[in-house]
Amino acid sequence: MTGEPIEAVKNGIQVMISSLRQNPQAIETAFISIITFDSTARQLVPLTDLASFQMVDIKASGTTSLGEALKLVSSCIDNEVAKTTQEQKGDWKPLVFIMTDGIPTDEWQSGLDEFRKRKTAYTVACAAGSGADSNLLKQITENVVSLDTADSQSISKFFSWVSASIGVTSTKVEDAGKEVSGLGELPPPPSELNIVT
Amino acid sequence: MPEMGNVKAQLTELFLKNNVEVPSNRKDLFDKFIRDDKTVAATRLISELENQLMANWKLQDRIATIQGQPVRIHNASVGKLYEAKLDFEQLGWTDLSHWKFEGLEENGLTFEEEQKQISGKPVQSGDIPLRFLFKLKEQADDEPFNEKLIMLIVNPDPKSLWKNLDSDKNDPYWKEDNITVCEPLGDRYILASSKRGRSHANEGSFREDDFAFMNLENGWSIVAVSDGAGSARFSRKGSDIACRSVVEYFGEESSATSLQEFDQILEQHKAKASPDSSTKLNHYVYNTLGKAAFTVHKRLEDFASKAGHTLKDLSCTLIFTLFKRYESGYAFLSFGVGDCPIAVLNKDISEVTLLNWIDVGEFGGGTRFITMPEIFRNEKFATRFSFIEKEDFSYLMLMSDGIYDPKFVVEANLENIAKWKELLEDLNGNNEGGVKVELDPGNKEIVQQFSAWMDFWSTGNHDDRTLAIVF
Repeated sequence: MTGEPIEAVKNGIQVMISSLRQNPQAIETAFISIITFDSTARQLVPLTDLASFQMVDIKASGTTSLGEALKLVSSCIDNEVAKTTQEQKGDWKPLVFIMTDGIPTDEWQSGLDEFRKRKTAYTVACAAGSGADSNLLKQITENVVSLDTADSQSISKFFSWVSASIGVTSTKVEDAGKEVSGLGELPPPPSELNIVT
Repeated sequence: MPEMGNVKAQLTELFLKNNVEVPSNRKDLFDKFIRDDKTVAATRLISELENQLMANWKLQDRIATIQGQPVRIHNASVGKLYEAKLDFEQLGWTDLSHWKFEGLEENGLTFEEEQKQISGKPVQSGDIPLRFLFKLKEQADDEPFNEKLIMLIVNPDPKSLWKNLDSDKNDPYWKEDNITVCEPLGDRYILASSKRGRSHANEGSFREDDFAFMNLENGWSIVAVSDGAGSARFSRKGSDIACRSVVEYFGEESSATSLQEFDQILEQHKAKASPDSSTKLNHYVYNTLGKAAFTVHKRLEDFASKAGHTLKDLSCTLIFTLFKRYESGYAFLSFGVGDCPIAVLNKDISEVTLLNWIDVGEFGGGTRFITMPEIFRNEKFATRFSFIEKEDFSYLMLMSDGIYDPKFVVEANLENIAKWKELLEDLNGNNEGGVKVELDPGNKEIVQQFSAWMDFWSTGNHDDRTLAIVF
């Protein structure tokens, strides 16, 4: 991604951050990290709270190492997103937004396998322009958005949607479990029952 | 005095630039020309002007470099003390002779030139370009300052961003945004409050927490708290049904009869009357509370199917405790699903007893609900019940995660009596705003006091809050 699209992405992120700063829930709770991928994947900004976040210059040229990016985001989730333990309060499950204007040029299946092992509240992939393949991105997540052209207007629309999602979702993302229905009566007590000690 | 060789080289270059050749028959004339005083003076002047031009260019280039150099200072927040130091060494600004900021005051900031430090409390939020003025050592004193913009991001004060929008009273499942009550319960009093969280007030959505309590037959009392899932559409109705159903269930005649049985079972258990008396008690607790929990689940299921909702739409947690005073002390029967704790503090507040374990997932918000059929099938179902006896107690507390999260943060703290003492001190006015609740049934202001206390500020904790205290 070069030229107008990458400028539009930078601008989109900038606008998104500014608008999120006006959302009280987001400014008190949201953290953001940026990973770029071209011939290699790099974490440009480690997971940073919104209030401290400062935009960096984004460059992307050459190939599309999507697999490496998926591996990197997986290890970043492991290292930076806190899980709930007896002594530590866990973070909310992360939201992952993937944006690409090309098709992966690396062995990306192994990256996808890694990423699938991580829990996200949800993952959104955006196929920007005709060079990207939204069917391919469907393998990563069912939430795929595609932009017909990777121009600044479409990209900025995508980002305003992303910021709205972050604003809403940072309120609560629950693990509501699977819907199982049909239970006639209370199951009998187990043979080992020790309520009273 | 420039050396003759330099003058010659300089003129040769000049002649070349002008396409003028000196033929051999003019060589003598050229030699004489370069020795001429006027020529020497003129070349010297040219050299000086050239040097000056180059120095000027270098200066302009240096200024432009500084102006374009990215300078990052960390972000500020409105009303919060801010300090940022410009490290000239690191920035490579050792060639600066004068520096200052202009217009900082209007943003509530000042700049100490010697310390090179910006400090103060920013008054307005936004991306604010700060005007940094500087001169280089090479510049003359009377030259004007050069200007560089340094971007300062000032975050708004989150407190100023929260809106308090009314919920829609015409909604069929509307409930009061905030409710606080104090009433007698059993031989004690209950002070209970349920408040809509700021995250809901900000959007004009509904309170999803709920509570209920009742004096039952035969000396029993019940308190229930439920937290509706933020991700479920009608969880506000779910929590309402859950609390009401369990209280109603125990208010029914069949339950009253069943609770009467308990007196005898407990007596036998305490007297160790027969080898199976404790088994009997175990089964009694499981069956009585299990049926109650299951009835709540069924009522939610019925409501969902009649209203054309899914059961998941009503997702909510549920905790409840029944208590009764016997001659020998108090008996407590509890059940819990979800992340809301129930605790009893002994008379002299030296010990806390937790009456349930809480469902916390791996990530924030990962919990279990009474609306999930699988909890009844799960092997851990039987561990959701508890029975304890206490000679006496000071407080029985049931709370939603809106209280538990800011006040206890993690599960491990629930077992720590010091944390409960802190909570009691907090209630007694040891908090930011000095808001005090006098836990005395004679206190006529108790409802207003408790309602005010419930509005405490805690960054990032703006969920609905419910706290029921039996005292």
